[in-house]
Amino acid sequence: MAISTFDVPVGPQHPALKEPVNFTFTVDGEHVVGVRPRIGYNHRGIEKAAESRTYIQNIYLMERICGICSVAHTTTYVQNVEYVLGKEIPRRAEFYRVLINELNRIHSHLLWLGVAGHEIGFDTLFMYVWRDREHVMDILEMLTGNRVNYAINTIGGVRRDITPEMVGKVRKVMEVVEQRVTYYRKAAAAEPTLLTRVKGIGVLKTEDALKLCAVGPTARASGVKSDVRADDPYAAYDEVPFNLVSYDLCDVLSRVLVRVDETLESVKMVKHCLDHMPAGPVRVKLPRVVPAAESVSRIEAPRGEVIHYLRSNGTDKPERYKVRAPTLGNIPSVCEMLTSKGDYAVRIGDIPIALASIDPCFSCTDRAVLFIDPSRGKEWLWTFEHIRKYAGRV
Amino acid sequence: MSKSTEQAIIDELRTQFSQELLEAKATRNRRVFMEVSPQAYKPVVDYAVRTMGFTHLSTITGLDSAKGFEIMPHLSRSGAVLTVKVTVPREDPTVETITDLIPGAILYEREIHDLVGVVFRGHPGLERLVLHEGWPEGVHPLRKEYKAVQPEPLRKA
Amino acid sequence: MHFNTGACNACDIEVLAALTPRYDLERFGAVLKGSPRHGDVLVVTGPVTRQVKDRIMRIYEQMPPPRFVVSVGSCASSGGVFNGCYNVYPGLDSLIPVDAYVPGCPPKPEAIIHGVAALLAKIRGS
Repeated sequence: MAISTFDVPVGPQHPALKEPVNFTFTVDGEHVVGVRPRIGYNHRGIEKAAESRTYIQNIYLMERICGICSVAHTTTYVQNVEYVLGKEIPRRAEFYRVLINELNRIHSHLLWLGVAGHEIGFDTLFMYVWRDREHVMDILEMLTGNRVNYAINTIGGVRRDITPEMVGKVRKVMEVVEQRVTYYRKAAAAEPTLLTRVKGIGVLKTEDALKLCAVGPTARASGVKSDVRADDPYAAYDEVPFNLVSYDLCDVLSRVLVRVDETLESVKMVKHCLDHMPAGPVRVKLPRVVPAAESVSRIEAPRGEVIHYLRSNGTDKPERYKVRAPTLGNIPSVCEMLTSKGDYAVRIGDIPIALASIDPCFSCTDRAVLFIDPSRGKEWLWTFEHIRKYAGRV
Repeated sequence: MSKSTEQAIIDELRTQFSQELLEAKATRNRRVFMEVSPQAYKPVVDYAVRTMGFTHLSTITGLDSAKGFEIMPHLSRSGAVLTVKVTVPREDPTVETITDLIPGAILYEREIHDLVGVVFRGHPGLERLVLHEGWPEGVHPLRKEYKAVQPEPLRKA
Repeated sequence: MHFNTGACNACDIEVLAALTPRYDLERFGAVLKGSPRHGDVLVVTGPVTRQVKDRIMRIYEQMPPPRFVVSVGSCASSGGVFNGCYNVYPGLDSLIPVDAYVPGCPPKPEAIIHGVAALLAKIRGS
């Protein structure tokens, strides 16, 4: 019995329906010919919750949208409220926000580098990089009191200050990170087996990245020169110089290069903040009640553009708060890069590294994905572990 | 004194769309908000994307307000964010899709369809995105009438 | 075996960090396995969303006894900051029995190791 590609009957008793798959892949033998995203297992109902919590309570909620780039969401959030309140926040606080956001970018990119190493079968890279990352976690804990979820932002500034002693420690760690990342860059470029696993894989053409509104390193690795820190500067980014990193190889290798080079740029930016931190207070007291208005706040998180929209109503709680995390912005692009067309063939084994290359902010390694092969009338569920074994990477 | 970027954006759209531009304001540097009539919604977005260079769609916000359901794509280009707002009535919550102008709108419209219940006419596949399959039809959590209820525990802790 | 039920990933990265050289959970005899049939201890992070509820229950059912469950983080323990949200269960123990709770948002790797090691010691002692 022939089953058409677009109309695969999956009955209510089919076990697949009980699995929270976030992708369904249509395959033709070895090749992926179609991708359907269905992301919802991570949906918690945050935007609704935000309407019944005060602006201060919401800072804690926003931090937990994503545990890897948490400060990105709190920075976007407090800025949004500050925009409506219309008061200047201390310049020192703005520099501090750049410092923490760049340290966060470093930890996030190192985390990703390790995970990507694991995906292509280089577990030693994972262990080395995560060991180096621990130095960054240490200084984040020193500066903010916590390794993850820093609770550093408040409406009106930041909650802690940096001492001269801390400055010294941060500088030392930046030297180490710069050394190690430069070494990894050289070592990776000289490793042919590594290159074959990332070159030409997960291709996203520039025009597709633009049409599909890709963000962050995913877009910049397809030659799109956009970065919120340059296009729409916030905090002290109007004063902290950096090079916008972009490559146009359009594949996984391109995304590796963008993140590695961005990490080195972030090291420079952290040093600049330490050298130029203006004196003064780190916060101002701002009112709890926010006048009726609307506002859009955007920042460049490690994964890409974060955008929040606020509608306030003259009370101490928001009328509506909308959050768009960067990964959602890249889902259409990852579907595109996982679809074979013309000469471009996507093999099942390429799926994990291509997906990892957009640095998705959801934990997908434990999740099953659904495969449908209409020409053989087959359907099956595999975890990523299965796919890696199948591709001979384990 | 030269016009600000934000004022220039407003003026250009006013010139093109006059009456259909119901309200326009620049709230701060690089932020322009405007409300347009439903029939001007797609033409305004088209003009902003194709002629004014607002080719990046950051997301679309859907909101339940006293006036109805407000749909607002947030479009950007280097140096400005333009939010175009359209209001549709509660009794007939439909609006045209902009996925043919900006393919990147595809998931944002699905999300609003799930959570606010607006139908985007012409969308290639308006199916569930973030809500569970078993979630009841017609119940949209971001509508003001919906009161959040946690799922029932299956056992006592 | 580690399963993420809709977590923000903060707990997950601290669970993963616990496996790296600095913390090295392996020295306590714990190794991360992929299949519920090979795991004695199920480590769960995240507030359980409606979408994953059936899967987490099935994973638990597929684990051959003796089986133990550790809920890592405030969300798994009680729903955490998402308690009251429409898509989140009020804690893992509203669905399956939990043997050890590691509080924190997220708990540090040391706390996670302490929780797992304490549970392993208790299991071996009994």
